[in-house]
Amino acid sequence: MSILKELGKNKWLYAMTLPVVVYVFIFSYVPMSAHLLAFKRFIPVKGLWGSEWVGLDNLKFFFAGPDWLGVTLNTIYLNLLFIVAGTASSLCIALLLNEIRHSLFKKVSQSLVILPHFISIVVVNLIVINFFNGQDGTINLMLKEFGLPTVSWFQTPDVWPWLLTIIFVWKGAGWGSIIYLATLTGFSEEYYESARIDGAKRWQQIWHITLPLLRPTIIMLTLLALGRIFYGDFGLIYGIIGDNSLLFDSTDVIDTYTYRSLRSTNMNSYSNAAAVALFQSVMGLIAILFFNWTVRRVDNDSKLF
Amino acid sequence: MRVRSKDKSQLAVSVKTKDKSQYAVSVAAYLFIGGFALICLVPFWLMYIGSFTAESQIVQGFRLFPTEFSLDSYRFLFQGSQVYTSGFVSIAITVAGTVAAVLITAMFAYVTAHPKVKYRYILSFYIYFTMLFPPGLVGYYLLISNWLHLRDSLLALLLPLLFSAFNAFLMTSYFRTLPFELNEAATVDGAHELYIFFRIIWPLSMPVIATIALFYALSYWNDWFNALMFIDDPQRHPLQMMLRRIVSNSQNLDYLNSNINIPVAATGVQLSTVVITIGPIVFLYPFLQRYFIKGMTIGAVKG
Repeated sequence: MSILKELGKNKWLYAMTLPVVVYVFIFSYVPMSAHLLAFKRFIPVKGLWGSEWVGLDNLKFFFAGPDWLGVTLNTIYLNLLFIVAGTASSLCIALLLNEIRHSLFKKVSQSLVILPHFISIVVVNLIVINFFNGQDGTINLMLKEFGLPTVSWFQTPDVWPWLLTIIFVWKGAGWGSIIYLATLTGFSEEYYESARIDGAKRWQQIWHITLPLLRPTIIMLTLLALGRIFYGDFGLIYGIIGDNSLLFDSTDVIDTYTYRSLRSTNMNSYSNAAAVALFQSVMGLIAILFFNWTVRRVDNDSKLF
Repeated sequence: MRVRSKDKSQLAVSVKTKDKSQYAVSVAAYLFIGGFALICLVPFWLMYIGSFTAESQIVQGFRLFPTEFSLDSYRFLFQGSQVYTSGFVSIAITVAGTVAAVLITAMFAYVTAHPKVKYRYILSFYIYFTMLFPPGLVGYYLLISNWLHLRDSLLALLLPLLFSAFNAFLMTSYFRTLPFELNEAATVDGAHELYIFFRIIWPLSMPVIATIALFYALSYWNDWFNALMFIDDPQRHPLQMMLRRIVSNSQNLDYLNSNINIPVAATGVQLSTVVITIGPIVFLYPFLQRYFIKGMTIGAVKG
């Protein structure tokens, strides 16, 4: 009865949450039922509930196949590259922006480094194509001008983890620096004052004062990112690589793999995709719980829950 | 001196200490930040210039300055009907989606930050769990196309982006920073809960509302994935999807329904479309920047 009493007492407040509660139920909780397809042979006309159970067959098929290890490792590897390069460059930008005194220069340059974050992947894809395409992409034209050998970028899988990392940094580093910059402008001036009295040079102050003070923020953001290590950046990777199978060896991640198996004309494609998606969700859940637990141990104030 | 109070202390210090290491770090900062800012700008500049350049010149590579000025690609684009159709779809979806999304997110976040609401943590967890255990692509696809039958409907572009848990948490952090006394005083005066929210809390929350509105607007404006998955009818393609079509299939310019006769303006047309799709963002950006840096920060440092 106490539940009803509480709901009655604050009925308008609870009513205000109703749109989101209903929406999230339909758009997030209902689709979770599709994970059951991992254990069924999906026949569209029979629907999710009418299709027959096949136990672990789909999962066995996925794990027995040649793909699962490759896509899982690619996902982890690319995410690690993104996290390391992204964090380092965001930190650099924040630390150095903080050193800039000319306020107009600071404002304009900050606007410019954040700008790519707001641009759609479709546009980024177009830039990438024009820069790296065939023999007449901008990069190859420049290589030619300097008398260097050209590279068939779209046929060379090995360069793509690095190119994707560069694109990731270009697109996201400025955006990522906002949080670091906001945090470090809040540090007390007293630390720096006393360091100067002791004769610390400016870069020593950055290294010995600013960075250690930023440590909790860096750790927290990194752990949160690690919690999503089983989720590939679908927009970036599919948006740029698309269905170019020449590059799958080094760029195919769990998400793009799922998307492709979903679209394939193979009879069992839905069930196969569901098996992959279930694997990803479970691994993702474990990763998030593990890293959140770690956040809690490292810094209790930073925990999410 | 035109220096904001925040920077004053640091400025005073840098003037006081004529330290050489300060100078070296400053030079490094200007070089690095300036360089990175240029790297961020140049691709856009190249595309912008390219869109005003004759096709025969673009295919020889991008240039920093136009070699042969031409409006052909814009003429070609605006002759066709697709750019108007797609532009209308994009604007309609972005405006309608952003208004609805901000409204429901703000109401929800306000309640989860409200100390009087006993079950606010349950409500937060209800949302948080969807971040821990996302529904996955297969369920999402089945929901939109098989269960809700939204294939080729504009609702397939509108509904999937209507709520983001991340944005809700950002707003909750902000609402928690507002003094609860405001609320109590209004309640004592007999104000209705809805009145308190819309007339007292809402006007005080402009920075975070502007930030969230910007985030939602961008996710709608930049969305191509939902169109790729669920929309086959070109009459309902948003601008991003139109761009994707002409990028991935540049020979197929019939799609634009333009009957102007220009020798294969493929690249130019792509570039002019880019200029149209990012134009509004670049235009609105300076006005919104101070809001979103503030809004992001409040969420980040947990006020």
